[in-house]
Amino acid sequence: MTAATEPRVISIKWRLLGLLLVPLTVLLGLGLFIDYRTGVASIGGVYDRALGETALAIAAHLRDANGDGHIDFDLPPQAIAALRTRGSDTVAYAVRRIDGVLVDGDADLGFVLPASEQAQLFDAKLRGKPVRVAVHAAQVDRTPLVVAVAVSTHQRDSALRRILASIVLTDLIQLIGTLALVWIGVRHGLRPLRNLGEQIAQRSARDLAPLQDTAIPAEVRPLVHTLNALFDTVRGAARAQQQFTADAAHQLRTPLSGIIAQLEVLEREPVSAELRARLLALHGGCVRLAHTAHQLLTLARSEPSAITHEDYARVDLEQLVTEAVSHSLDRALDAGLDFGAECAPAQVLGNPWLLRELLGNLVDNALAYTPRGGRVTLRCGDDGCAGWLEVEDDGAGIAVDLRAQVRERFVRLPGSPGNGCGLGLAIVDEIARAHEAEFSLDSGSNGRGTRARVRFRHASAEPVSLPTAKPQ
Amino acid sequence: MRILVVEDDALVADAIRRGLESAGHAVDRVDCAEHARTALAAENFDLAIIDIGLPCSNGLSLLRSLRQDGLAVPVLILTARDGLADRVNALDLGADDYMVKPFAMPELVARCRALIRRSRSAASALLTIGALALDLGAHRVEVDGSVVELTRREWAVLECLALNVGRVVAKPKLLQAIVNWDAEIGANAIEVYVSRLRSKLGASVPIRTVRGIGYRLDDGSH
Repeated sequence: MTAATEPRVISIKWRLLGLLLVPLTVLLGLGLFIDYRTGVASIGGVYDRALGETALAIAAHLRDANGDGHIDFDLPPQAIAALRTRGSDTVAYAVRRIDGVLVDGDADLGFVLPASEQAQLFDAKLRGKPVRVAVHAAQVDRTPLVVAVAVSTHQRDSALRRILASIVLTDLIQLIGTLALVWIGVRHGLRPLRNLGEQIAQRSARDLAPLQDTAIPAEVRPLVHTLNALFDTVRGAARAQQQFTADAAHQLRTPLSGIIAQLEVLEREPVSAELRARLLALHGGCVRLAHTAHQLLTLARSEPSAITHEDYARVDLEQLVTEAVSHSLDRALDAGLDFGAECAPAQVLGNPWLLRELLGNLVDNALAYTPRGGRVTLRCGDDGCAGWLEVEDDGAGIAVDLRAQVRERFVRLPGSPGNGCGLGLAIVDEIARAHEAEFSLDSGSNGRGTRARVRFRHASAEPVSLPTAKPQ
Repeated sequence: MRILVVEDDALVADAIRRGLESAGHAVDRVDCAEHARTALAAENFDLAIIDIGLPCSNGLSLLRSLRQDGLAVPVLILTARDGLADRVNALDLGADDYMVKPFAMPELVARCRALIRRSRSAASALLTIGALALDLGAHRVEVDGSVVELTRREWAVLECLALNVGRVVAKPKLLQAIVNWDAEIGANAIEVYVSRLRSKLGASVPIRTVRGIGYRLDDGSH
């Protein structure tokens, strides 16, 4: 469900956020730009009107006092000084005839002929500094004049900056607020999906119980229903396979059992040595056949398709080991082996019957491959994070390059003793895999013999409501 | 001893009959649950061997109905199925032992002997295992006919081993058997009692140490 598992697939959350956030950000940015432009225009208008009025005021004070075409500026020096400053801005002015001759004011303020009766406004530079200029055409006693006023832009610029700052601030708050709401909404809206994802992620691959379909959004309900139908089918198939192997076991074992028992009875009767030898060979063959049939059925039952969590229970490994030792003790004594166990309390979750087969196969191998006088030890314990089972012998061991091979089906190492059919470690491997356990084959302590180890998943990671396997 | 074999497969039934007869038992055989019920109601058997996979009625339901009728005859269940559920079911329903086909005839004979011995000792409180004879009521022990004096705890350990003869008894279980008298017993106390038992009973009573697990009183067969 998460993007982490499949890096190329973007999660719905990020997709939704992407689809919402990008256009929202563009829209809000556009709003900010428009607000700014509007602010600039209105502030500029206010300053321009004031500038135009200054130009008109200067024009109003121009007189041709003598009527000789000589224009005078009839403001007292204090008034002119007041005119020249406006707050922190300095004001320059120039009154010229239309031929450009300066009548009054600052000579370095350039001459521009206004295009119309209206005041003409533009940005320019005066003495290296930016100024706003208003040029106004005036008629003083029939003499056409041009009044230019330039004001530095400090105040206007700082007003613009203040406006800009407040616009950006409010728009940014709006932007962030909107994004936060989108984020929260998307997260909240996707919560049922996330819950479903977690419900699926927490399950073991062997768990075929139906998913809860309450509180599931309508969009994914078909998916949940299809999954549940699939689980149901798989469960049914597993049950059918279990039923088949159980029936097959019954049909195979009953006649085999009769033949073997008859042979055993025959062997006890007084017969010739030659016939006894043939009976014993026949008996051996039947036992081997029965063993192979049992191993094949066990393998069929340990295949993933035959296993569901419904058969799982808490299994006490100490008890499992005790039973295995008790079961095989006579065989070990006959083989002249030191057979024992070292157990620490440990519980795992699993199929009790299959785990017994797993341990039984490991013990069978150890007993078969350890020469007389050797030592076979079963161990179990919990390393704080998972339960484990171990069977160690000091026999011939398995060469490192053969350890992977012996797990395969029907593989027997050359010179193997006993009635084996080469399925034992394949069964162990299959059952371990079915329990999501690690099965490893190593050398025993001191580098001799074989140490087969099965390390389980932690039992507490599973639901705790499972029944405990009944003791014998 | 008289044993009833409830088995539909003629080959198996015949082999069991021959095997048990050669071990000195009298064997009757029926092939379905209905006949088994009739036979068990009419006559006294020391043991019934019942196959789970009977054609007309399941062996387990036969077992259930026998126990419901109050018949206490020891029952050994035979099955060709190896699922754990059947085994647990059988033992829950009152089976005394359980064997999966194909079985080894000597083991079947040994288990029958053990079952009969156990039911006899439950009735008479007398238990005989090779050279060892226990009177469970009087807490009396004889080895080769001569009485051996045991302390109460030594007796408790021996009794627990004898009642589970041929099976490995884990140390915690032995500890439970003696802890009733004294809660202050350490885990290695069992070793002390077993070693005293061995020296008192002698080599004719083989108490075997099973490394890391516990002890086993060997059956005559081993």
